[in-house]
Amino acid sequence: MDQQLLAKTFVELADNLVADFDLIDFLRLLTDRCVGMLDVSAAGVLLADRDGKLRVMAASDEQVRLLELFQLQNDEGPCLECFRTGVPVIVPDLGTATARWPRFAVAAQRGGFGAVQALPMRLRDEIVGALNLFRTTPGPFDPAATPVAQALADVATISLLQERTAQRSTVLNEQLQTALNSRVLIEQAKGKLAERQDIDMEQAFSALRGYARSHNRRLADVARALIDGSEPLTGLGS
Amino acid sequence: MSVVDVCTAAVAALPVGGAGLSAMSKAAPSHPLCSTDDISEQLEELQLTLGEGPCVDAFVRGSAVLTPDLRITELQDHWAVFADAALEAGARAVFSLPLQKGAISPGVLDLYANIPTVLDTEELADALAFADLATLLLLDTRIDETGAPTGGPVPDHSIEDLGAHRAEIDQASGMLTAQLGVGIEEAFVRLRAHAYARGRRLADVAADVVARRLRFSPDAEPDQGKEET
Repeated sequence: MDQQLLAKTFVELADNLVADFDLIDFLRLLTDRCVGMLDVSAAGVLLADRDGKLRVMAASDEQVRLLELFQLQNDEGPCLECFRTGVPVIVPDLGTATARWPRFAVAAQRGGFGAVQALPMRLRDEIVGALNLFRTTPGPFDPAATPVAQALADVATISLLQERTAQRSTVLNEQLQTALNSRVLIEQAKGKLAERQDIDMEQAFSALRGYARSHNRRLADVARALIDGSEPLTGLGS
Repeated sequence: MSVVDVCTAAVAALPVGGAGLSAMSKAAPSHPLCSTDDISEQLEELQLTLGEGPCVDAFVRGSAVLTPDLRITELQDHWAVFADAALEAGARAVFSLPLQKGAISPGVLDLYANIPTVLDTEELADALAFADLATLLLLDTRIDETGAPTGGPVPDHSIEDLGAHRAEIDQASGMLTAQLGVGIEEAFVRLRAHAYARGRRLADVAADVVARRLRFSPDAEPDQGKEET
């Protein structure tokens, strides 16, 4: 574990937790840093909705295949287990997990992954979601990296609270609902942009995010404007 | 099941006296769809006439507006006319929940109580669930307009299907806005209509659209997506 990179990352994340931060952009940054620091190849933040279903809020890669792997875990998988038990789930070799999670283990391996980890996002007594990490090659996870991964999961949880403060919402589940709806909005906008420009979902997400950042706007607001066609968004083809 | 049934069920399940639902749109005039009692009906009418109130705010902000007590001065300033009129009508607490799925927002569900009331976490979760159900039922009423088989009830599994919150369904809806040159709400309705007409699962149809195995064309009959093999 590179201590300097570690310090730099947490400083960067803290710097981004400012008053009018953008939750989805922030969580994407966090998943990207997980990939950069933790020797994993994909990361995702999953939040439980009010029915206790896990839904993707951010992923280090917006491709359908990865999102599917997250979604599949509403039925079985490390995230579901982690969410239910509140303890980290670490599987160094997915090849040994086919009995435990027949569908998930097979799908994850088909997706090119060999190892998986899920860390709980805990808010006081409640588990609100999980941070999911995938690595392409099987093998033990660096024991020194697990507390760092948990710290990143905790930062993701804090960012939910920060968003709540920024929106002056006093009710957590209502606020989570709004956040999850922002994510739906972004999926819709990705689809529209991907179709219009004949690009893939990750490229569409990058374009939306790039536009939001360069115009100092929230991703969800740009997504809504794109879908409504309510304003010219130069470079996004409208 | 219709949106009225959702309102009735919400009243039975929650500490509220009545529920009402209004269709809201940025493009067209809003109008009340149903209410369970006179007070609810008045609340819907009032907000749409005055253009202010928790229902209007919930629609504009895209998040729930929870008002445990209308007799709080700050609220009376915020909704100067509505707050007094609502109290006069017999409401004391008002909870407005937007019906929404991303950028699709066809209306608002309003609940009221005649005494100061705070919804606890579980009650709020239930209220949000009623709002989600109302969203789907309201959009289902529009499927008839698309050329999907009419008259028959929408299959029950379709609602469970949506509960899965597959990202592909939202992505496919977005893609259809571009393929068909329609708004997101219509795109979603057309996607569902196609699934019903073919007896397929919505998630499967959406996956085909996202994988670009299935395209919709504005020229073809609405239920005739062109499938490539």
